[in-house]
Amino acid sequence: MEVDRELVEAAQAGDRWALEELVRRTHRGVYTCALRLVGNPDDAADVTQDVYLRVVRKLGGFRHEASFSTWLNRVTTNVAMSTLKRRTRRFAVEGAAVPADTRDPAPEPSERAEAVALARRLELLVAELPEGQRQVLVLRDVYGQSTEEVANAMGLTPGAVKVRLFRARERLKAELEAAEGGQVVALAGRRRATGRRS
Amino acid sequence: MMSCHSIRPLLPARAEELTLFEARARAEHVATCTRCATEAAAYSRLGQALAAMANLEVEPADGTLEQVLVAIGRRRTAVTTPRVLAAAGASGALLATVVVARAVHHRRQARPARRPARARSGLPSRRLRLPSLPVPTPALARAK
Repeated sequence: MEVDRELVEAAQAGDRWALEELVRRTHRGVYTCALRLVGNPDDAADVTQDVYLRVVRKLGGFRHEASFSTWLNRVTTNVAMSTLKRRTRRFAVEGAAVPADTRDPAPEPSERAEAVALARRLELLVAELPEGQRQVLVLRDVYGQSTEEVANAMGLTPGAVKVRLFRARERLKAELEAAEGGQVVALAGRRRATGRRS
Repeated sequence: MMSCHSIRPLLPARAEELTLFEARARAEHVATCTRCATEAAAYSRLGQALAAMANLEVEPADGTLEQVLVAIGRRRTAVTTPRVLAAAGASGALLATVVVARAVHHRRQARPARRPARARSGLPSRRLRLPSLPVPTPALARAK
């Protein structure tokens, strides 16, 4: 969900059209991130709305030190975590939507295509992880936040984040191997066989 | 060299999550142990797939975007209206103060200065000083 800097600056200057365009371009990414964190579509929609209300309030303070999408992900994380503190989890696994890659897929190496195909299958397995493990994994491994950022967002120590992360990765790999008949290992083995570093 | 049992907890970690010592120990072990190398590669592959998830987007339910747009529209109005009202109120109050002050000023200038009530009624003012009279005291009476 990369966004032009000009569009962000226009929205900051009070251009209503620019703000609405910003929402149109980013709302799927925000909703997806929220869904992965809170675990159910209704709460994810509420989080999405709250995120943009906060964006309207805080956009003037955005200084372009990080990319807009990074900033938006942090806002989404904070709003989602606040929401989770207020609400009890009502997530049913069957409520998790199977993601569709809405971006126009540019020609990409087969390795990247494999990763995307695997990512689609992973989505449901990630949704089935215990909440604490899922949130840590999503923030760290999907959205690339640092261990310290994840710890701050979740009110945990960095050590606790690492423990949850380790368990989540281990469990996910085991479940994926069970679901795919060891495809991850097979892919990795094939990759090693071609002589490339992993 | 460390055993498989010691290295296993390090296999799911990304390189930047390990200390220099841990990273070196893992690399040395993986270079010589096929089983752990396969495991490490599988975790690496998993990491790539998880990172690729960031580009997958779920389409929200119908109406979600419209609700967001309406909400931020209301928010912008709600943010703007009190400010406008406050500014209008402050301006009105200032204008009213100036009008009243000018009216009072004109009224004072138009009327002659009013005499105190006691002066109009013929009574001596409380501020009139009494003539200094000799106070009869026993000493004064003896002298007379």
